[in-house]
Amino acid sequence: MSVQTAAADIARQPTSSRWRSLVTQESVATLVVSVIVAAAVILPLFTLVVSSFQVLDSGGFDTTWGLDNYRTLFTDRVIPKAFVNTLVISAGSTVLATFFGVSLAWINARTNSPGRDRMEPFNLIPFFLSPFVGAIAWHNLAGGKTGLLNSWAREYLGVHGNLLNVDNIWGVIWVTGLFFSPLVYLFVVGSLRRMDPSLEDSARTTGAGLLRTARTVTLPLVAPGILSGAIIVFVTSAGEFGVPFKLCAPYGWQTLTTQIFSKAVGDDANQYLGAAMSMALGVITVFLIWIQQSYIAPRSFTTVTGKGFRPNVIDLGRWKWLAFAFNFSFIMVAVVLPIFCLLVVSLHPVWQAEIIPSDLTLHNYVKTLFWWRPDHIQAATNGIYNSFILAFLGATIAMILSLVVSYMIHRTKGFGSRLLDFLCVVPVGFPGIVLAMGVLVTYIKTPIYATLWIILLGYITRFFPYGQRNVSSVMLAISEELDQSSRMAGASWFTTLRRITIPLLKPGIFAGWVLLFIIFLRELSMSIILYTSGTETLSVGVYYLTNYENETLTSALSMSQTVVLLICVFVFRRVAGREALTA
Amino acid sequence: MSARNTNGAMEAKGTAGHYVEVEGLVKLFGNDRAVDNVSFSVPKGKFLTLLGPSGCGKTTTLMSIAGLHTINAGRISVGGMVYTAPADGLFLPPEKRDIGMVFQSYAIWPHMTVAENVAYPLEIRKVAREEIDARVTDVLKLVGLGQMASKLATQLSGGQQQRAALARAIVSRPRLLLFDEPLSNLDLKLREQMRVELKRIQHEVGITSIYVTHDQAEALVMSDEIIVMSKGRIQQKGGPREIYARPVNAYVSNFIGVANLLKGHVTAVTAPGRGVVEVSAGGRTVQMPCLLGKDMSAGAEAVISVRPENVEATRQNGGGPSLEGEVIQAIFLGNCVDCRVRWGEFEWKVMAHPRAGLKTGEKVYLRLDPEHTLAVLP
Repeated sequence: MSVQTAAADIARQPTSSRWRSLVTQESVATLVVSVIVAAAVILPLFTLVVSSFQVLDSGGFDTTWGLDNYRTLFTDRVIPKAFVNTLVISAGSTVLATFFGVSLAWINARTNSPGRDRMEPFNLIPFFLSPFVGAIAWHNLAGGKTGLLNSWAREYLGVHGNLLNVDNIWGVIWVTGLFFSPLVYLFVVGSLRRMDPSLEDSARTTGAGLLRTARTVTLPLVAPGILSGAIIVFVTSAGEFGVPFKLCAPYGWQTLTTQIFSKAVGDDANQYLGAAMSMALGVITVFLIWIQQSYIAPRSFTTVTGKGFRPNVIDLGRWKWLAFAFNFSFIMVAVVLPIFCLLVVSLHPVWQAEIIPSDLTLHNYVKTLFWWRPDHIQAATNGIYNSFILAFLGATIAMILSLVVSYMIHRTKGFGSRLLDFLCVVPVGFPGIVLAMGVLVTYIKTPIYATLWIILLGYITRFFPYGQRNVSSVMLAISEELDQSSRMAGASWFTTLRRITIPLLKPGIFAGWVLLFIIFLRELSMSIILYTSGTETLSVGVYYLTNYENETLTSALSMSQTVVLLICVFVFRRVAGREALTA
Repeated sequence: MSARNTNGAMEAKGTAGHYVEVEGLVKLFGNDRAVDNVSFSVPKGKFLTLLGPSGCGKTTTLMSIAGLHTINAGRISVGGMVYTAPADGLFLPPEKRDIGMVFQSYAIWPHMTVAENVAYPLEIRKVAREEIDARVTDVLKLVGLGQMASKLATQLSGGQQQRAALARAIVSRPRLLLFDEPLSNLDLKLREQMRVELKRIQHEVGITSIYVTHDQAEALVMSDEIIVMSKGRIQQKGGPREIYARPVNAYVSNFIGVANLLKGHVTAVTAPGRGVVEVSAGGRTVQMPCLLGKDMSAGAEAVISVRPENVEATRQNGGGPSLEGEVIQAIFLGNCVDCRVRWGEFEWKVMAHPRAGLKTGEKVYLRLDPEHTLAVLP
């Protein structure tokens, strides 16, 4: 095409080329993805709001519009107490997780406590494991009569009765607090490591002592990180289903999540009331996340200043062994003891709170893993099969979505990119069980109900922001000029994406993929609302075993899940490195 | 030159005077007029520099030509082909514009070797493999990276990445070369060397170039023409010598090099382009004979602009009109002495010859040559 004809072409058809200039690969892709994301995120939340105003009549078939569901939240015999229990559990877990998280972060980032490099990866392991499985393990460790630690205390220490009991609301706080400590740890350790040491040094040169410097400089700089971590723990604990279901619901302490669950699938199922309860829970969590995102996260100054600092390390002297013991104890109670207990219990035919070497057997693994044997338990083998499919498909689709969405947010300007940015924060504000209720009421009358697809849809909607953040953080580190120079070299938008952007983002994409794979493999609180017979997931399988079978079979499946997760964690650390893990 | 890759650039030969044409370019960022009605043209094969401080609109102008963002009004065409004209609803996407561009960060793709980086534009244009290899080898030799072809981009130094980026920009022999502050990340020595080399290579390949920089020395060394920009508008356009010797206003005078600037007004026009400007500083009033800017008449506001090297400072009053001042600072720089001379409330910047032997605290007489004393617009 010569210049003259090209110019003439363009000059002849101003109107059609105006359209042509709007319909580019880029704009079409943006539009399609925006619509998909908007529909996936907004539709369930919208239906959830609508459903919460529908009141089921006494016959259980017809509905009328009204506020009765919300009235029930206050007048019901159980729900108000469940509400209080939820708040107590969340507050308690937050205090515990903040205590562990901040102490461990400080010990690892700023002291000369021995063995830090070896212990650091273990501090993060609870982040990747299932808190539900943690609750099962702690139930067998310290759950009244069946607790292994209690029977050891009776035998070796001569304690009468039970030394420990986690089968109550305090046990829930203990387990959630332990398992969510890494959330605070990750927020704080980053600020502590990346803090410019001269900030503290200059305080010291003005005559401020060690403690005064910590109080007036270090703590205020880390405070946004601590607060962010604490809020995330509070919200996550409030939405946690597995731990209260295992440890306190059977003993008379209901929480909002266990109540939503019983209203969604129980004998007295009433999705509309469930929707109202979900709204109550969702309003709290969204409000807190909004505070964190708009007021606290922007104030974390230390994370933006450059990298490459060597933070000040404090010589603890003899106290360093205390710091070591503290960190070691955390790893024992959060990682080693629970996994040891799962293993021990899973090898017994029946669990009687003592290790009987002559009884050890692999029978429980045979029944939960070997799908070709006639005596296998279908909920367990189905769960494994389904979870791998969901995790693989879900992580792949979510990462493709994340890639395009991140590109839209960071490489295009205007209203669309800001809307997408907002839509990516929204799902994070809602606990899985709340979003699952939304997905349930939205799609219950469509063909995808009672299939794996509805679970897949729920997973992706709730968790793709995690993948998106992984991609975004890499994308922000890559100069936009790398893309632009490809366009200038004559490559189209799509060719640039394929040949330049995606290859450069590969580490971030893969890290995000593995993270989502891990999250989907252990997911419980959405699956439990959306599954039906045949579409059980791995965690639902564990739920089934603990509800209808026995502790030893439960432990066997839990142990299998834990082993797979640990392998994924190992892969994740190899590809992502420690810095990639900022939730 | 292979005909199928030039997109018919040869046919535009006839319009040698106006190869690149930018007319009435306006770019808004919100309510901010980043580029405000900018027009200029570049003859074929010439090297034009957009010069100005950060935020003056020079990079925005370059990005508009590149097509990396859309513009609000105006018309950009190269060799008779319209790139963008919002009034007619025309916007050619960047990849269709056949432009080579060198970015500030070099933007060498770290997942490819040097040769792969340079071959990329040719692959996109579906050039045959053998021809690609030959041209990549040639162009790498031209920029002095003959031995580096198989190195990964991350193994190169800053200066080498710069050369690779240049090779990638020129390998497809594009219609136009754009440079976005390409030397600003290099250290001073390398920057001075690359200025000369870049100019040599551009001259050798003969591609029309537009260069953006905030470094006035760079602009003076490399350009055929310079456009000085400020706050989204063109302040002056001209050759390097013209811009330096005859700035049109105080802004350009101050931005290009160093100048003594004194406010005053024209009291008389003595001959076409010559006149007298009255300036006062700290109670002293002086009539200065000088060259007048375009269209300046008696009574007009004016600023006197004198380069420090054009102020003659002597310890004895050699007769004739001179300004009597006191040396308040004299810094020996080897080939000259950088002086500050207080005259009333005004401090003259003076580049004195070391032989003048000026010392701090001494009385000194300043003499201004009317041929090098300019009256410019405020």
